[in-house]
Amino acid sequence: MSDPDRLDIEMSGGCQCGAVRFHASALMANPHICHCRMCQKATGQLMVAAVGVREEHLVWTRGAPTIFMSSDYAERGFCPHCGTTLSFHFKGARHWAMAMGAFDEPWRIPIHFQIGTEGRHPALADLNGIRDAGTTEAADPAGAERIRLSSHQHPDHDTEFWP
Amino acid sequence: MSEPTAFSGGCQCGAVRFCAHDLNDDAHICHCRMCQKAVANAFISLVSVDTDRLEWTRGAATEFFSSAKTARGFCARCGTPLYMRDTDGTKVFLTIGAFDEPDRVPPRRQVGNEGRRAWFASLHALPGNATTEEAWPEGAAAIKASNRQHPDHDTEFWPPEGRIE
Repeated sequence: MSDPDRLDIEMSGGCQCGAVRFHASALMANPHICHCRMCQKATGQLMVAAVGVREEHLVWTRGAPTIFMSSDYAERGFCPHCGTTLSFHFKGARHWAMAMGAFDEPWRIPIHFQIGTEGRHPALADLNGIRDAGTTEAADPAGAERIRLSSHQHPDHDTEFWP
Repeated sequence: MSEPTAFSGGCQCGAVRFCAHDLNDDAHICHCRMCQKAVANAFISLVSVDTDRLEWTRGAATEFFSSAKTARGFCARCGTPLYMRDTDGTKVFLTIGAFDEPDRVPPRRQVGNEGRRAWFASLHALPGNATTEEAWPEGAAAIKASNRQHPDHDTEFWPPEGRIE
């Protein structure tokens, strides 16, 4: 029987450098963005995009995040080597909210709702309407190639050895 | 009186703080897969400051080189991504959410559009308009009571005595 609280999406993910990797065998049906000021400042971004993974569906397959306790309740995980934001966990909770961009194929994850709207950045009202400066390849082919040739980003799939 | 041109900011825990004495008019978001993965978000938000207009007022970021000439700075203690810079460049691109008043820095341009999320166009229209206080008053109060986030202004001392074990 299908579980309305579950998304049948199985996916690995991890930080930019690949020192911390995880595998989720299923996601919770709560992909969302949070605008609250704590999520903004924790990540340096306009908002956080996250999706829950139940503890029984989550395995850290390489390394482990470093935890900063942003309050007595909230553990925020990041890679100590490259700084990628990875996770948010309420102490004692049976699931982790995982940062969506850390997944290897984030385009497969939908988005369902928004929270923490007291902190919503005014630009979010029409972010899609700001000037479109094209793709990386089209805007700066030489730069894109230079970055590609020396990229230290972990590939978007599991690896046996890295780096 | 004109709008102040200096912008302070820093990481969540306050171990690393900066002051941008003025900003370049290039606030933008980038959807590229490297920026996405670096901050594990749908896109990154950045604005640049000339190196000689940027002052690190407390601590220093740790850098990861995501490619040969691109360094990405973050706080080693709490993980907040703070900037990216080209080692040949004369500018530092600060993350907009790390500013104390990010609302003063509206992105005007989007780049790296090959990586744009399909749902990006409908971000503004997502269901849910509740604030944290409305949606979860008891949780919001409990978090507020033990909040370890640096306040959104410069402080003489941090953390306050006894706050961080």
